Amino acid sequence: MVSLTGNMLRGAPFEDPAYLPSRAPSAYNPLHTFDLSRGTEKLYSQQYADMYFLRLSQLRKAVIERAKDAWGDFALGEERARMVDRVLDVRQGELCWVVGTVYMEMGLKPNILDDISKEHWIAAPPPRETYASGQDEMMLEDESGRLRVTGDALNAHYVTGCVLAALGTEQADGTFQVIATQYADLPRQPQRWERDDSELVVAKKPKPKRERAGKIAIVSGLEITGKVDDELALDLLLEYLTGELGGAPDQSKTTKISRLVIAGDSLSHSSPILSREDFAIKKSGKKGYGYDASAYNSSPTERLDFLLSQILPTLPITLLPGASDPANVALPQQPLHPALFPQSRQYANPPVKSNESLEGLDSVTNPWEGDIEGWRVLGTGGQTVADLLKYVDEVETLEVMEMMLRWRCIAPTAPDTLWCYPFQDEDPLVVQDCPHIYFAGNQAKFGSRIIQGPADQQVLLIAVPKFSLTKTIVLVDLETMTVELVDIGIAQAAA
Amino acid sequence: MPPKRRTEGTAPKSHQSTLAFHGAANKVTKAGTRAPSAKKNLISEPVVKDIKVEVDAPDTVDEAQPTTVEAAIIEQTEQEVAAQKVALTPEEVTAKRITDAKIKKYWLARGGKNEKLKVHQKDLSMHEKILREFDMSGQYGPCTGIARLKRWKRAHRLDLEPPIEVLAVLLKEQEGDNKLLVQRSHVDELLNSRADEDA
Repeated sequence: MVSLTGNMLRGAPFEDPAYLPSRAPSAYNPLHTFDLSRGTEKLYSQQYADMYFLRLSQLRKAVIERAKDAWGDFALGEERARMVDRVLDVRQGELCWVVGTVYMEMGLKPNILDDISKEHWIAAPPPRETYASGQDEMMLEDESGRLRVTGDALNAHYVTGCVLAALGTEQADGTFQVIATQYADLPRQPQRWERDDSELVVAKKPKPKRERAGKIAIVSGLEITGKVDDELALDLLLEYLTGELGGAPDQSKTTKISRLVIAGDSLSHSSPILSREDFAIKKSGKKGYGYDASAYNSSPTERLDFLLSQILPTLPITLLPGASDPANVALPQQPLHPALFPQSRQYANPPVKSNESLEGLDSVTNPWEGDIEGWRVLGTGGQTVADLLKYVDEVETLEVMEMMLRWRCIAPTAPDTLWCYPFQDEDPLVVQDCPHIYFAGNQAKFGSRIIQGPADQQVLLIAVPKFSLTKTIVLVDLETMTVELVDIGIAQAAA
Repeated sequence: MPPKRRTEGTAPKSHQSTLAFHGAANKVTKAGTRAPSAKKNLISEPVVKDIKVEVDAPDTVDEAQPTTVEAAIIEQTEQEVAAQKVALTPEEVTAKRITDAKIKKYWLARGGKNEKLKVHQKDLSMHEKILREFDMSGQYGPCTGIARLKRWKRAHRLDLEPPIEVLAVLLKEQEGDNKLLVQRSHVDELLNSRADEDA
């Protein structure tokens, strides 16, 4: 008998029926906020000024409201603070506050000349770890112009692209001395199951009884190279997720996992823009005319496809592309094409038929927003966070993620140092609805935190570490909102 | 028997696309009309912009190809026109009811009194002057790279309250001859003018 203590060596075999656990179902309702139109409708002739204008106008009202609440009756001595419409309208010696977009003037930011030197010299200059130097200047910008901003209150870190209200006065040399700043803070958070319930109300159907939610597994940075080195870790991961690993207790825990989210960087070295090392290798290779088909190595993609096709029969997967994946380089990265997954795409709806697959392989955009078990989840592959960390030093990943939500910008540094599509109508990189869970993949180490908002919003922030380095995956229990880290590997005997 | 020889050639035709360096469609150098040179603008000449219109039958091969920016604006205008044919938005319905007299009143209230001082705008119609003022208002966003109608609608959607009279003027111009030209702001033309080949 297979006892639930997991010891299969006791008892006679086959007396009782085998323990057949079944997986918890996954309630899934993705959003298509970051889908770009295809083909000729996607135009690149517009400038990025439109994007900054959209961001400022979408966030301006919220920032003004918060600033009025905070500084409505602020007075320094006898002078009351008043709001100024345009950034250039500040007057010397007058206490006022103004709303604008931050621009950080940094000498070490990437320069187009570095890209050119990559081709002319033997090796390109190495990519910078951080853009921050001692001589960085901060400016506040809107349609009228730019205002140089100084002050001790700026010890809190800011990056290019966040929208702020700044309270202070103009100095004699034209700089604006800041006393305090205010940002838009978290937007309205939808209720759990809000979208599903409203759809049911519109369709006049009754609300179904919802079962207890399971867990989701988030993994990122698989970095499959196709070589034998990653076989062991990937096989163990596969066996853990399909429930083949361990006895009945482990299996009963694993059945609670209802969905797997792969948060970017599944393939290493597959980005269309070659990294510095790959480019050097390619340049030193043979120079032929045209495309050398023999240079393409399909084993990483085949290995990933094989892995996914083994997991998919039992577990639905949401796949986000990352910085090193074969998707477009500019944000928002579009879903990985089903042509890459000949075996796994049988578990997905073809793009011609539908742009989402609720049960099976859902290849989605990066960043991505959707409803899992009624909770609103927002996730990125980590490029936005990594780029932001280059602007500031000695700041933790979770603090950066919290600030990005409070500024309501998913990618504040786009389009300055992060490549981005030039949006003209509406900027989807502005957070409209506050998520319940916000995860970022490919981070240096694991972290999780719950933050509070001004209107009782609660967001669970998760920094997912790279699987290729740490061999860990993150499990989030969607009923209790607790996070656990599962370490997958072979136990080393204590020395 | 030995296998039959293929008659169409020794090698099968590859489906890979090839580069083509010939043909008018692949012309690398830009040919085009002269940009409206500064000298011409000083003299009082009506702002004739019909050289660049693709609505007329293309007289020469050079002027038939719009630049990417022009093409983008034409594309946007066509989308707007198609959307209008389907259904008119509420603000468009309101704008259609605005009469010429109301537009004139709006313009006079906006500073139309200084008309005599603005010598450089002597030859522009009132509609064009209203549209240029709308272009130059920075609070509605950059005016380059976007059709005027689309810019008005974007400003309206972001609750920036653009004047409804401007929409009325745009809709009236839609029914005129140069419906594609009026959608492109003059600043956009100046900034993205074609390179002058013979200079």
